[in-house]
Amino acid sequence: MFKELDPILHSQLRLAVMSLLIAVKEAEFTFIRQKTNATAGNLSVQVQKLKEAGYIDVKKEFKDNYPLTTCKISPKGIEAFDEYVKALQEYLQVGK
Amino acid sequence: MPLSEPKMSEQESLKLISEMIQKAKTSYHDKGISSLLWGSVVFIAAMVTFTKEQLGLKLPFDIWFIVLFAIIPQVIISVKESKSRKVINYDDRSVDIVWTVYGITIFGLIAYQNIVPFVTKRLIAKEGWQMLKHMTDGSLPDVVITPFTLSATSIFILVYTFPTLITGLIKKFKPMIWGAVLSYGFFLASLFTSFKYDMLLSAATALFCWFIPGVILRRKFMKRKAANV
Repeated sequence: MFKELDPILHSQLRLAVMSLLIAVKEAEFTFIRQKTNATAGNLSVQVQKLKEAGYIDVKKEFKDNYPLTTCKISPKGIEAFDEYVKALQEYLQVGK
Repeated sequence: MPLSEPKMSEQESLKLISEMIQKAKTSYHDKGISSLLWGSVVFIAAMVTFTKEQLGLKLPFDIWFIVLFAIIPQVIISVKESKSRKVINYDDRSVDIVWTVYGITIFGLIAYQNIVPFVTKRLIAKEGWQMLKHMTDGSLPDVVITPFTLSATSIFILVYTFPTLITGLIKKFKPMIWGAVLSYGFFLASLFTSFKYDMLLSAATALFCWFIPGVILRRKFMKRKAANV
């Protein structure tokens, strides 16, 4: 029986965000936008979904009078990402 | 191509994950400004000192003060770089810790270099002797010199502390951090003490830097081992 792929992660933009955040300690919203080529609006929505799932921590503050949003993967997010990758590997092994 | 919400195959998912991890890894490049700054400052100071010694010149100031002055642009560079960084990698923290501890060690060595000769002079005066510069051909009269007696134990204490503080900070292991802080105190104290007491301070360093954290780590390990059985 295959594990079901986590629907929160099995979305192109959300998976891209999580993959970026798994590789770094924390990243600014603008950095994520630049690397994913997403629009600010779409990225905001997906970041919010990841935050609601408890997969990332989002910190909002002001830096030099400009709003600054920083994202960081949470322990729950690391676990979910790990499970997602394991599930993908299972699918791919059977597909061989 | 902006990323939207189409259905992905498993292969596409894995490809996306690996692409994004790669993008994150190659996102930050050290501009090399700090390396250039310290490389040139130390090179200039060393070469000027060499030239001064070689040609028997006298300078109205100590050229090594430029190393101290270089701290100001270094602070400005560090603040600017941290402001412009949009991403923090896991290894950034470790690299920062290594260079910070290195900075502490350099300050320790400067203290060593400035304190030990005078303390040595005082200690040998207590014993009732002094060090003279004596020309074997008798061309010049004897001169009392401030000796530079190598207090090797102090250097060893400083070096013992180096990896302990780095490990403690990276692993966020408080017993090692506190052990290292105490050992810096032992190092400073050893600059003022004779060899006999340096050994006592060296023993204390071994206890606080390694033995006590070692006991704590061992206990934790045994607890985990017992829990897994």
